[in-house]
Amino acid sequence: MTEFGLRLAISLTQIAAVMCIVVFTVLVLTLAERKVLGWMQDRMGPMEVGPYGILQPLADAIKLFFKEDIIPAGANKFLFTMAPILCLIPTFIGFAVIPWGPNWTFEVNGVTVRPFVISDINIGILYILAFASLAAYGIILGGWASNSKYSLLGGLRSAAQIISYELNVGLSIVGVLILSGSLSLVTITDNQAGGFWHWYLFALPAPQIFAFVVYVISVVAETNRVPFDLPEAESELVAGFFTEYSGLRFAYFFLAEYANMVLVSCVASALFLGGWNAPYPGTIAELVGVPYLAWAENTMWFAVKTYSFLFLFFWLRATLPRLRYDQLMRFGWKVLLPIALGNIVVTSIAVFIYQQMK
Amino acid sequence: MTMTAHNTRQSLSDWLKTITFYEILVGMKATLSHLLNYRPVTLQYPHEKRTLPDNYRGMLALLRYDDGTEKCVGCDLCEAACPSRVIRVVSAEVPGEPTKRYSKEYYMDMTRCLFCGMCVDACPVDALGMTREFEWAVYDKRQLHLNKQQLLAIGDRSYPVREKRLELQHPNVAFFNVAFNHVPPKPADPRG
Repeated sequence: MTEFGLRLAISLTQIAAVMCIVVFTVLVLTLAERKVLGWMQDRMGPMEVGPYGILQPLADAIKLFFKEDIIPAGANKFLFTMAPILCLIPTFIGFAVIPWGPNWTFEVNGVTVRPFVISDINIGILYILAFASLAAYGIILGGWASNSKYSLLGGLRSAAQIISYELNVGLSIVGVLILSGSLSLVTITDNQAGGFWHWYLFALPAPQIFAFVVYVISVVAETNRVPFDLPEAESELVAGFFTEYSGLRFAYFFLAEYANMVLVSCVASALFLGGWNAPYPGTIAELVGVPYLAWAENTMWFAVKTYSFLFLFFWLRATLPRLRYDQLMRFGWKVLLPIALGNIVVTSIAVFIYQQMK
Repeated sequence: MTMTAHNTRQSLSDWLKTITFYEILVGMKATLSHLLNYRPVTLQYPHEKRTLPDNYRGMLALLRYDDGTEKCVGCDLCEAACPSRVIRVVSAEVPGEPTKRYSKEYYMDMTRCLFCGMCVDACPVDALGMTREFEWAVYDKRQLHLNKQQLLAIGDRSYPVREKRLELQHPNVAFFNVAFNHVPPKPADPRG
C-alpha cells in the first residue's frame, strides 16, 4: 500500500469514528434534553419506546426517515435542498480539529498517526469559527428558499443574531489565544496540562472567567438555543427557518443544531476547561501503574466536561424565558462586546507584565 | 442624606445582582432542585388510570329493565332537553298496543355531545344513563353516530344491575315507576 493510500485509510477511519461518535452523541442528546427538561418540570419525558423511553431517538429517526418530503409551491428547489446540507456540513467539519484525548503519536509503516485528533492544523480555532459562520448561510437560505413569511423572518432574525454573536464568540476566545500563543486546539489543550489551576478559566496571569461567561452566553445565542431561540420562536414564528421543512431535510437541520451544540461544548472544554486534561496533575492510570490506559481517563474527562456543558444548555432551557429581539441585540452589542474587548485589553496587559517580570 | 445613602446601597446591590446573574442563578437553583427532588406529577395514562369521581359523566347509554325490555317510551323529552341536538328519537306505537309507545329508532351523534346530562335528567322513566366510559377515540367520526342497538349494548355492559320492572307500571305515564295499587292488574301479555 502506498503511503498516500495508508494516510487516506487512516484518516477515513478516524473521520468515520468521529462521525459515529458525534451522531451517537446527538441521539443521546435528543433524549437527554427531553428527559432533563421533563425532570426539571416535574414531568417524566418520553417513557413509551423501550424501557424508560431510551429507544425514543431511534423511533424519532425512523419517523423522520419515512416522513413525506415536501417542497412547498414557489420554493426555490435548489436552495431549498442545499440549505440543510449547508447547515450540516460546516458543523461536522469543525470536529476535525477537536483533540479528544492525549496528543499521542505512533507510526504505522512510516506514517505518523495521531489517534485522538483527525488533523492538527495550526489555525484550528479559526477554522472552526470560519465554518461555524458558514452555517449561517444554510439557515438564511433555508428561510428564504421556503417561500414562507415565517421562514423568512426566522432566517433574517437568525442572520442578525448569528452575526452579532459570532463576533462575541471570536473576541472572547482571543484572551485564550493570547495566553497560549497558538491557534491550534491541540497546543492550547497541551498548555493547560497539570491541574485545574492551569486551565485558562483560572490560569494566571489572567483568568478568563469573564471571557468564559461571554463565550457561554454568545454560544447559546449562536446555536439558537433558549433563551436566545428567536429564530425558531415557536410562539411567534411557528418553527422559524425550518417551518416548511419535513422528513429527512428537517432531520438535517435538527442534526446540525445538536451537532453544533456538541461542537461549541467541545471547543469550550478545549479552550477554557483544559480539554482532555484531568483537574489534577497527571493521571490516576499512571499512578496506579497502567500508563497505557491514561488515554481512557483523559478521554473520559473530555467527555465529562463536554457533557456538563451540554447539561448547562438544557438547564438554561428549562429555566429561562425567551428574550425580546431588541433586548437580544442590545445585550450582544452593548454588554457582551465591551466585556469581551475589555477582557482582551486586560489579558494583553497582564501577559505583557508577566513576561516582563520573568 | 440617609435616603440617598439607602438609594446608593440599593442601586449598588442591584448592580451587583445584575453582574453576577443573581436572578438567573435563583431560577436555575429552582429548576435544579426540581431535578434533584424528582417527583413527577405525570400519570402514565394507558398504563395507569385516574380514579374517576362518583358522579362522573361519561358515555351515554340506553337502559333495560331486569326482564330485558327497553325502558325507553319514546317520549322525545331527551331530544327536547338536549342543548346540542345530539339525540334523535323516532317513536312509534307498540304493534298491537295502541296506547303504548316505544322508540323505534334512537340515534345519538356523540361528536356533538357535551356530556351535560340534561337528557338523563329529563327522562321520565330513567331510560338513559351516563356510564363511566370515556375512551371513545375513533379513527372515523362516523363511528360516533350511534344507533339504538349500540346504545343499548353500552348500557348492558355498564349497568349489570338493572331496575326491576314493576308489575303495575304503565309504560306511558311520566310518574310511572311506582306501584298504582288502585289500578287493576293488566291481563297477561297475549304475545307471551
